[in-house]
Amino acid sequence: MVTLTIDDISVTVSEGSTVLEAARAAGIAIPTLCHLPGRAPRPSCYVCMVRVNGGSRLMPACATPVVDGMRVESQSESVLAVRRTAIELLLSEHLGDCVGPCEGVCPAHLETPRMMRQIATGQFREALITVKRSIALPATLGRICPELCEKGCRRAGHDGPVAVCLLKRFVADHDLASGDPYIPPCAPSTGKRVAIIGSGPAGLSAAYYLLQQGHACTLFDAHALPGGMLRYGVPEELLPRDVLDAEIRVILQMGAEFRGNVRIGAELSLDQLRAEYHAVLLATGALQEREFLEAGLARSAQGVRVDRRTMQTSLPGVFAAGSVVIASRHAVRAVADGRAAAEAIGHYLAGVAPSRTGKEFSVHAGRLEPEELRPYLACGSPEPRLIPSGGRAAGFTPEEAQREAQRCLQCACARADTCALRDIAERLGANPTRFRGTRRAFEVDTSHPEVRFEPGKCIACGICVRIAAEQGETLGLGMQGRGFGLHPAVPFRESLKAGLRTAARACAAACPTGALVLVSDRG
Amino acid sequence: MITARGTNVTNGTGTCATDPLSPAAFVDARVAEQGSGPEQLIPLLQAIQERYRYLPEEALRRLCEVTGIRPADVLEVSTFYAQFRLQPVGEHLVHVCHGTACHVRGAQRVHDALVRCLRLRDGEDTDPEGQFTVQSVACLGCCSLAPVVQIDDALYGHLTPDCVTGALKDFLARQRRAHSEYVPDMPPAPSGQTEFRVILDSCCVAGGTRRVYEALQEAVRHTGARATVRPAGCTGLCHLIPMVEVVSPGREPVLYARVRPEEAERIVRQHGSPPGLAGRIRQIWTDVLDHLLTDATWEPVTRHTVDKRDPPVCAYLGPQRRIVTEHFGAIAPLEIDSYIARDGFVALRRCLEASDPEGVIREITEAGLRGRGGAGFPTGIKWAKVRAAHDPIRYVICNGDEGDPGAFMDRMLLESFPYRVLEGMAIAAFAVGAREGFLYIRAEYPQAVRNVQEAIRRCEARGLLGERILGTDFSLRLRVVQGAGAFVCGEETALIASIEGRRGTPRLRPPYPAEQGLWGHPTCINNVETYAAVPWILRHGAQAYAAIGTSTSKGTKVFSVTGRVVRGGLIEVPMGVTIRQIVEEICGGVPPGHTFKAVQIGGPSGGCLPAALADTPVDYEALQAAGAIMGSGGMVVLDDRDCMVDIARYFLEFTQKESCGQCTLCRVGTRRLLDILERLCQGKAHRDDLDRLEELAQQVRMGSLCGLGQTAPNPVLTTLRYFRDEYEAHLQGHCPAGRCAALVHYRVTDACFGCTRCAQVCPTGAIPLLPMRPHHVDDVLCTRCDACRAACPVQAITVE
Repeated sequence: MVTLTIDDISVTVSEGSTVLEAARAAGIAIPTLCHLPGRAPRPSCYVCMVRVNGGSRLMPACATPVVDGMRVESQSESVLAVRRTAIELLLSEHLGDCVGPCEGVCPAHLETPRMMRQIATGQFREALITVKRSIALPATLGRICPELCEKGCRRAGHDGPVAVCLLKRFVADHDLASGDPYIPPCAPSTGKRVAIIGSGPAGLSAAYYLLQQGHACTLFDAHALPGGMLRYGVPEELLPRDVLDAEIRVILQMGAEFRGNVRIGAELSLDQLRAEYHAVLLATGALQEREFLEAGLARSAQGVRVDRRTMQTSLPGVFAAGSVVIASRHAVRAVADGRAAAEAIGHYLAGVAPSRTGKEFSVHAGRLEPEELRPYLACGSPEPRLIPSGGRAAGFTPEEAQREAQRCLQCACARADTCALRDIAERLGANPTRFRGTRRAFEVDTSHPEVRFEPGKCIACGICVRIAAEQGETLGLGMQGRGFGLHPAVPFRESLKAGLRTAARACAAACPTGALVLVSDRG
Repeated sequence: MITARGTNVTNGTGTCATDPLSPAAFVDARVAEQGSGPEQLIPLLQAIQERYRYLPEEALRRLCEVTGIRPADVLEVSTFYAQFRLQPVGEHLVHVCHGTACHVRGAQRVHDALVRCLRLRDGEDTDPEGQFTVQSVACLGCCSLAPVVQIDDALYGHLTPDCVTGALKDFLARQRRAHSEYVPDMPPAPSGQTEFRVILDSCCVAGGTRRVYEALQEAVRHTGARATVRPAGCTGLCHLIPMVEVVSPGREPVLYARVRPEEAERIVRQHGSPPGLAGRIRQIWTDVLDHLLTDATWEPVTRHTVDKRDPPVCAYLGPQRRIVTEHFGAIAPLEIDSYIARDGFVALRRCLEASDPEGVIREITEAGLRGRGGAGFPTGIKWAKVRAAHDPIRYVICNGDEGDPGAFMDRMLLESFPYRVLEGMAIAAFAVGAREGFLYIRAEYPQAVRNVQEAIRRCEARGLLGERILGTDFSLRLRVVQGAGAFVCGEETALIASIEGRRGTPRLRPPYPAEQGLWGHPTCINNVETYAAVPWILRHGAQAYAAIGTSTSKGTKVFSVTGRVVRGGLIEVPMGVTIRQIVEEICGGVPPGHTFKAVQIGGPSGGCLPAALADTPVDYEALQAAGAIMGSGGMVVLDDRDCMVDIARYFLEFTQKESCGQCTLCRVGTRRLLDILERLCQGKAHRDDLDRLEELAQQVRMGSLCGLGQTAPNPVLTTLRYFRDEYEAHLQGHCPAGRCAALVHYRVTDACFGCTRCAQVCPTGAIPLLPMRPHHVDDVLCTRCDACRAACPVQAITVE
């Protein structure tokens, strides 16, 4: 047995172990991308680097054998900095979209590709649940949304974007028309009460997600009826009030209390609310200068000053969301903000630190040239954008919705949730644009019936090459070229199908990124 | 033999294996001759390429079939080494050397001129007629003739953009005249006869020496003179070639420098004729040494006799100390008797007679010999480790994969002193207990390969290698393995992988090759120069060797000094001399009118030392402290015309191309370092790019597996350390040396009188032809080829 210390923790492991194995035995997480357990180490990714005995060079933990008395440093800032650089270098040549561009530009981060897969296969209820995870008022927004998602759609420049907004509206309308609208499950009551001032899109959205967490919500509004700007600012021809009412009804059915005709300040002071409720959310829409002063809130150039991380104002326990923070004409921003506030208030009430700063880590491929788009286009139906037969106001029929949803190219990475590179990048706080180079051309190999290969996402770890060799493929894969141009390829320029006759599934399963994925993974 | 499989391996497009002319039949024959083991993969690919000039797919498929080597391995190996080509090429291959010396002397302009002259289209390397294919090569090792281009086997040196057409025509003309490349072994000259010694190593050949050699032979035949013409080894006086040394009995040898073929007969008549006539024709010594570097043509221009006592030659040769190049100029490279007559194989004989391997190792250890490949590991300790191994199978390897651009001393030693290297290797093999060994030599050094192979054959014939050497029970079989164009193979574990027939990817050490090397057996691997020092040490004793040099760096070191020096060439100096002594005293300093700025030492792994640190001694530790490394001995002198950011960019371009691609930090990191340097050289860099450059350089150094990645940032880090002001200037869009093309502009001053010469030489039509009127340069069309400035008779063209 060999005893060594890793970050001052003493670890005893059997002789012949690697530092990585020792660290794992001690419960110390060292990230890896190219490691294949049970095989001879072949380090290439170098994100498992550690400092050994205070040396000036770092060693790959996966290939460094333990030695008695060894001192290993795995979490110091300088070690993490080199690991982060390794990840940032890999990201500098990583071409793809973690999330679809539609999802990336949507302020509410609607999981559009998943919704599209569900609509395309007729799973309308499931599609609605997907939508409502991000948007509390989809039928409403489906009528007034600025359709930012469609501007991001990769088909936009080709034959028109997929009708994301109309499809979202379709699933919401279909749900409301069913007579049994979806009501999300709510956690058991936490006994915590939240006062929400303003029942516009931000306030309603916050209530919808707070209620699901088990917190009680009271919506105060200066008007008699809930809806805020949606009711009092949007023309009825654009947004029929029965649609708005139906969506608000769901929130009230979930247990929200509404108190109209209450103006905060005159009848009810902010201090009173702070005393009576565990948290207060300001969702009033833009405030006047006078109102800030009266409430005692610090302000910024745009509105109420909030801590971006916690969404709290200068008053403890008072949060703010929507136009009261930054004025926006888009209800979708207010809806997104309300959801974020619900999350922040949830953390506050539970007494935990905010989980994450801002958005999830994602890389974006950016604009593609028309010829680069061609392989993408093969992933969706070839039909042009469909116009609802009954006119835009009527929306899609179920059959039309399915057809239109099949146009989605599914640009999002099939491994978005399981990609090791993305996971490590997020944990190390990597900046994907720190090193910029000339962008490589987008390519995708769809010649194989079981797997799909995107060279732009390959990190040249060689895992697929090794697995193909282990499984005795006749042609298999080899690493072609050297240096920056190194990449896996099938010998004699044959197709991927010829190279991977039996090992395709195993190779895809072991790929640490979304470079080699099972076709079935893509829905 | 027709087999069902055999006839159908080529997707129906190829010919069947029974066709004696088919690639498949060729492969069958080669495999039958060479064997089919995995270590034969690279030699087989080399044979196929030699035959077809590229690797036809049919041949590769057949190779997999008959050897059982996996197609994936063929793919990996054939695309790793730069030598292999998977596409057909033109009738002749033009290799443009982009070594450091060539880069400094304008290789890119020569390359651009070739592209224009052959009308190559964007991204294509073969001319429309399929006659020439132009490719870049990392270094041809003929640095003193920079810039150099190799057309098939013919080398052309001292090229300028306007003489590339001439070189291509000359090549085609010479194609028609067949001539023998091989210089046969000759009996010693009868006593009393005059000997004309012509240096024929490959860079001298590039300088036109072969034609002089042939002309002398012809002249001897024609005049009936009683004289012999024979090849000699390198003298290191590269700035004086083509050189002929005339050795007549009872007289001082006479050295002719820069001889032209048409002058051969006069030389022969003078020295080959009866005494009395000698002295009638006096050659006039001129100041050619000082003008040599501005000489623009590759044809030698003037003839001179020089005396070894002439002041510049004295200055050049004086401070040198010859150990590995002992008897330079006197030993005919392949004449084994010429080596034996000068103490050759005495050391090996003594070792075998004394039969005390430990004693040999002790002697080498006490001499303080350190590895001359660059890192300076104590040779004795390495040998002792191999000797101490339990494994009875051991190997010796000579690392002749001299890849540093700007370095060519190993090529010179292998070409001019092959027996000395072999003797040193045999002694090492005896000391560590090895019976088999390999010399790994770059394929870019064909003459070195030929000379060593021939030297091995002749040694075996004399019982100096092979079975029962010198009648003892010590046997040693040595073989030459040719590299295939990968700088990283200079790294010992990568070199071993390459001999085993795999991609040259380094592996993590330990275990070191001394414990687990070739095929897992203990392996003693040393550099060419290290082995070449061994016979001298054993003949003169450890003390004599240790008396030379500094406290930690003993003996001598061979350097190739190139770039901006008056007297460039190969020198062997005792350790401890300063860089200033080398540059200013031995090599005559930078050309007049220019200021000495820096020395690049150690190639892509080394650094740039500023002139202010020129008093740094040649010593492993002192050089490292200054940020450079001893390296293998390439020294490129830079003056005020050279841009340090461009030099850093040049080296990163090199390492980036040569990275094996295994480690992320080297594979992508060197590319990103290069991106930033390219932005700097184009004036497009951002202020924070400098910090990013420095930080990334440090991290690439920390996080790479092998020496290539660990040292690749050195040129960046040392130039940042000593020449930060130049980086700052580039941020402002200004290149102080006027070297970075995007940042300089050609202008015509008022001095122009309308002679139109600039307009006539301009290759891109950037200067409209305006007889008798002032000319001007179109900045957009101008490619900064510098042809106009060189052509202007009144210096009316300036660079801003």
